[in-house]
Amino acid sequence: MKNFTRRAALAVLSCVTFLPLAAARPPERLKVLATIPDLADLVREVGGERVEVDTITRGKENLHAVMARPSHLVAMSRADLFVEVGLSLEIAFVPGLLEGARNEKIRPGAPGFVNVSEGWTAIDVPLELSRKAGDVHPQGNPHLNLDPRAGRHMAQRIFEGLVRVDPAGKDVFQANLEAYLGELATAEARWQEMSADWRGRKVVVYHQEFGYLAAHTGLEILGSLEVKPGIPPTPNHVAGLIQKMKAEGCTTILTASWSRNKDVERLAEATGARVVELPNQCGGSTECTTWIGMMDLVHRRIDEALTAPRKVP
Amino acid sequence: MQRFLSVSLFLSLSAPLVAAQGPAFQTPGTPVFPMKPAESGDSGQADRFASVFNPAFSFLVDTVADYVDFDQNSDDSGFNAEMRTLEMAAQAWMDPDAWAYFVGATEGEEVAIEEAAIHYTGLGNSTIRAGRFFIDFGKQMQIHTHELRTLERPLVLRAYLGEEVKGDGVQWDHWMPVGDEAAVRWSLGVFASLLPEESEFPTAEVVTEVAERKDAGDMNFTARLTGFTDVGESGMFQLGASARAIPDYDVLDEVNTLGESGLDSTVFGVDVTYGWSGETGEERLTLGAEALISTGDNGFSIDDPDTTPGTGDETLTVLDDSVFGYYAFADYAWSRYQSAGAQFSSAELPDAGNSDVSEIELYYTRWLSEFHRLRFVVASTEDDTSDDALRFAVQYTGIVGAHGHGINW
Repeated sequence: MKNFTRRAALAVLSCVTFLPLAAARPPERLKVLATIPDLADLVREVGGERVEVDTITRGKENLHAVMARPSHLVAMSRADLFVEVGLSLEIAFVPGLLEGARNEKIRPGAPGFVNVSEGWTAIDVPLELSRKAGDVHPQGNPHLNLDPRAGRHMAQRIFEGLVRVDPAGKDVFQANLEAYLGELATAEARWQEMSADWRGRKVVVYHQEFGYLAAHTGLEILGSLEVKPGIPPTPNHVAGLIQKMKAEGCTTILTASWSRNKDVERLAEATGARVVELPNQCGGSTECTTWIGMMDLVHRRIDEALTAPRKVP
Repeated sequence: MQRFLSVSLFLSLSAPLVAAQGPAFQTPGTPVFPMKPAESGDSGQADRFASVFNPAFSFLVDTVADYVDFDQNSDDSGFNAEMRTLEMAAQAWMDPDAWAYFVGATEGEEVAIEEAAIHYTGLGNSTIRAGRFFIDFGKQMQIHTHELRTLERPLVLRAYLGEEVKGDGVQWDHWMPVGDEAAVRWSLGVFASLLPEESEFPTAEVVTEVAERKDAGDMNFTARLTGFTDVGESGMFQLGASARAIPDYDVLDEVNTLGESGLDSTVFGVDVTYGWSGETGEERLTLGAEALISTGDNGFSIDDPDTTPGTGDETLTVLDDSVFGYYAFADYAWSRYQSAGAQFSSAELPDAGNSDVSEIELYYTRWLSEFHRLRFVVASTEDDTSDDALRFAVQYTGIVGAHGHGINW
């Protein structure tokens, strides 16, 4: 009995001593998995200290050819919130991972699933769904992360997702969102100024990644090296493009790190056009580790190319 | 006016009945799936002719044109062209936890059900799979021939397990994370029969079969344990072990009316795969190998002293030596559209002469888009029991629709 009393006293003393310590421990942070670094950056901006973010891609991948890895499956199985661009951009790896991960919290339709393209008005929505049109996306051009206006839209969708899974953090998320939108407003003004003279300037792209950027800034996409989305260039197609570029005085080719840049170089040699390699996600270069940084780099590189004197082919 | 009101009232009362057409087509004893009129419009399945919940359909055509040069029997050498496979498939979710699919494929001039199974996924990280499906053995037995990196399945798998091994049964598989960068998966399968339909390397002209009704312990089994992990920023490593057991089967020599029963066969395999992907995801290197041991009653020999079948002096001998075989491959893709590789496979055959057979296949694959590809192949076979051969082949495969057989790991 004496032993029991002593143990009970010890247990009570332990509780009194350690409970406040346990209560003072910072709350577990939300585990967020984003498909691309752009979304991870926005989650960090809005979620702040309450989130721990990981991404599937690192920044240079062709998003239509990402290889799922064991760490992706594990991260997806443990995530509280999953954020994707949507519009079938991540169709090469997300459906399989979602099915394998068996995480009820982040299934499509669950509170922890965020598709940032929800509510976004897509361009290039095919009038007819046929593979004759190439590797088309039924809901339209999925590269909305390259639209200078998309930062606000994506941040808002992420904010809503964070509030759904962590309602207690709403005030923090709201304050973070407002601060970020302020930063965005400054950046948007900067981009507006840089792209003021772009309207009507003609460019050629490798893949239709920069459609949103062109639509917003007034750049005219004369053609693409890919015959159709996802269909690699053929000699006939490239020959036609060379003629068109020469006839229209097009001097700029926009491409991404994953593109078949040997084809791009050949086209540049034949036409004297400048090749502008642009990031298609942030994180692929030390110059752009944030989404705003990436859009800065995109605008700067295009502006430099458009204002530079024409090369002699 | 009164007539107009009467007609309006009649139409408004009968509208829900028209919308909920189900009951009118049901007969006593048939399953009843009541549909409330209020829900019928919302669901989209307003009547039994609605097609909004149709599954995803696909078909695939696999064509091969080749020239084979036999070393000794040159009369057998020559050109050929065949539509090797026409495959049709459909798949759909049935509810939030279960989906089903079927794959029908041509076998000669007939269409056979290759796979038809239901996947139940509502048990956390476990999956219950029931129906007919390819066995979970190594990395290459689960997939259809047209999906392979090579023109043919590795020779050792064809020799010890069969060209394609599908079984009617049930499989339970489960995976779990290990740390942040690795996962372990295991599966157990129970099937009615896993004997190959025909052997590419027969040791004698016999027929083998598993009894239709049998004890639980005489069912056919598969088991697989595999783990895979990230290696650095761009690599992946996988190690696996598989087994396929046929505890009780019979053999029959129909010509000489000889037979044996109570035979067994077990094949064990260990596989290793390394995958590397460049920073854009377009450039990839895959290296892999699998070693197999086939044990039990694997071969047969018919001894016929007077060399005239059916005279009664014949004896059937069951060969039970364990045999070993393996394959190894390297595949390099320098873009999403182009890859090349080599695969070598060798196997001891369970015949009386301890014969060996080996095959090397070199290939170049060109995807014309994501949905059709051309493959150019040179393959050389050395066969102690038959004739050596050199084969040149062009394979053209086209996929239409939502084609997929699930994750292979």
